Amino acid sequence: MTPATERLLSVSASPAFWAAVVAYAAATAALLVVLAGHHKLRPLALVLVGIAFAAHGTDIGWRGTQHVHPAQSVREALGFLAFIITGGYLLASARYRLTVGGAAVMPVALVMLVVARLTPAGTAPEDLSTLGKIHISLATVGVGVFALASALSMIYLIEERALRRKRFDTVAFKDNGAPLEALDRLSHRLIWVGFPIFTVALVLGAIWVSKLGESLDRPEYPLAAVTWMFYAALLVVRQAYGWRGRRAARLTLAGFAAALLVLVIYLVRRMAGG
Amino acid sequence: MSELFVVGISWRTAPVAVREQLAFRDEELVGTLQAMTTELPVAEALLVSTCNRVEVYGVSTPGADPTGPVRTFLARQRGLAPSAMADVLYDHRGSSAVRHVFSVASALDSLVLGEAQILGQLKAAYSVAGEAGTSGPVLGRCLERAFGVAKRVRTETAIARGAANVSTVAVDLAKRVFGDLTGKSVLVIGAGKMSRLAARHLYSSGAHRIVVTNRSPDKAEALAAEIDGIAQPWDDLERLLVEADVVISSTGARQPILTRALFKRVTKARRWRQLVVIDIAVPRDAEPQIGDFDGVYVFDIDDLEKVVAANLAERAKAAEHAGRIVEHEAGQFEHWLRTQSVVPTIRALRERFARVADVELQKSLDQLARREHTPAQQREVMQRLVQLVVNKLLHQPTAALREAPPDEAGLRAEILCQLFDLSPGTGDEPREAQPALDREIAEPAPERKAVT
Repeated sequence: MTPATERLLSVSASPAFWAAVVAYAAATAALLVVLAGHHKLRPLALVLVGIAFAAHGTDIGWRGTQHVHPAQSVREALGFLAFIITGGYLLASARYRLTVGGAAVMPVALVMLVVARLTPAGTAPEDLSTLGKIHISLATVGVGVFALASALSMIYLIEERALRRKRFDTVAFKDNGAPLEALDRLSHRLIWVGFPIFTVALVLGAIWVSKLGESLDRPEYPLAAVTWMFYAALLVVRQAYGWRGRRAARLTLAGFAAALLVLVIYLVRRMAGG
Repeated sequence: MSELFVVGISWRTAPVAVREQLAFRDEELVGTLQAMTTELPVAEALLVSTCNRVEVYGVSTPGADPTGPVRTFLARQRGLAPSAMADVLYDHRGSSAVRHVFSVASALDSLVLGEAQILGQLKAAYSVAGEAGTSGPVLGRCLERAFGVAKRVRTETAIARGAANVSTVAVDLAKRVFGDLTGKSVLVIGAGKMSRLAARHLYSSGAHRIVVTNRSPDKAEALAAEIDGIAQPWDDLERLLVEADVVISSTGARQPILTRALFKRVTKARRWRQLVVIDIAVPRDAEPQIGDFDGVYVFDIDDLEKVVAANLAERAKAAEHAGRIVEHEAGQFEHWLRTQSVVPTIRALRERFARVADVELQKSLDQLARREHTPAQQREVMQRLVQLVVNKLLHQPTAALREAPPDEAGLRAEILCQLFDLSPGTGDEPREAQPALDREIAEPAPERKAVT
């Protein structure tokens, strides 16, 4: 066993991790209760999200003191991604009522965190070069921003559907959520932020792989390129052809699906010891 | 005892054709109120006359039931036969009157549940009563409480939540899409009354750019002038649609104006920017299919009515909660009212006791001041003072109890027991136990001469 392996396997879940798990679960439950019509509980739900965020951050920091970098592996990065998503959700909630979005995002963050911490570490990754660390960090942040944009697009599609079908009695409508125009604009801005980060990550990744001398025929490489192309295309059609609303939201989600697929392939490969 | 009463007519009991016969103009109110309090057994009065109700809230003079006279008075004032109004007028007294006033103020009795307009009208009526000098402490307190209850109901329940009329719903739907309407432009097609209302609401929500177009330019100009808009020629409709964010359409056209073919061009030119089309015309101005285009949201009159109905259903649910608040507050008010009625008695009792005590105390002080007393003598003076005061205070009640007619003696004794928390024994035991006290009660000690 290399020292890296020992280190990775010896880091057990911190108390902060369990606090985060409980807070995520409680926040999800509270948001669902708010959706069921108990609007007074909304501040409480947001406080729970805040606690989950803080506990999650503490856990990441604690792992840092144990020399586990948040971008050390895809498995670590997944937990970091959940952290970014929760933070973004908190930020957006300060401005808009995003109860529906929260009820969708919180369980996802919970699952990502649990997967990141409790799945077997598999064989230890090769000691990461600085290049690799930067690549994984940037890719995580980029995908995190895309995830937020996608969550907003998802909310957009749900709300838009309720409005278009005149389903005035649905939860999405009663929740009195963020206005469509704002969701669309915010999602667009996030993609503008995420795209350059993701682009740099992609380029660094390509350099890193070629330096390691691995072959480029793994399925995740072209898929990552497909993700990039989706978002590049989205920016182009938004800018040049004025696409917005429903079509833009669908394209955002399609791009994110490709990004998720890349993540899943990485994870499965790691767990399989590939 | 005087009590609160309500006599009135409202949308619940009579159609507008009847209500309008009983309505009072603002300038008639003061005279009517003053006539009511001088001619009828009414101590305090307030008159609220709106399009949905004409009601008198008042306080009777002690022991009187003024509802009958007030009914007759209202009918006579309007030159109607009292019998003709008998079925449509209602009255409440005492606690039911309090509940009625609180419910009205909280808009629970309004035609549109939760419509807060009535609160302002009540406040105006209250100040008119103040002007006329017919509002007194009881009515004043009742109204002040009613305003407080109304505020509680408004903040604690969902009674006033959700738009309750078509034109505010139109604004709400536009806000769903745009959020803030500041800086958005509105296109009004056709010059109907409904579009005027909706445009006004949009304007007050921040959409200050209003363009009006109509087949007849004169009407467009007239409406534009009325709602601070700009009239534009009908032939420019397509360009106007490209520039608008919210469209309100209410033309009398038999054929749809906002057609699929037109919107295919319009949406493309708009680059699919969101467009909310409120179609309140019947027959409809917009083909429903235009809602399939990206970014176009079409709502017809049925959609708007559906939202109104849903909101009103929510308000009806909230009304139950509001009813409990009214019930609770009315209970508290009645408690206050009850204590108010015994306040003069309490005051008189306290004054009497204080007077007796003061007189005797002064005598004792004078006596002490006249010359030096040994501590033992001072003690005796004090003892006598207390004894004298007690005897004097108990003299009248004791006499009243002993001289009571036989049928009342038991009742008086019982009340005294309750008031002073006594539990007299039934047998001879207390008699034997406290012979001295008993003798005192039976025969108040004659005033002894002061020790010198």
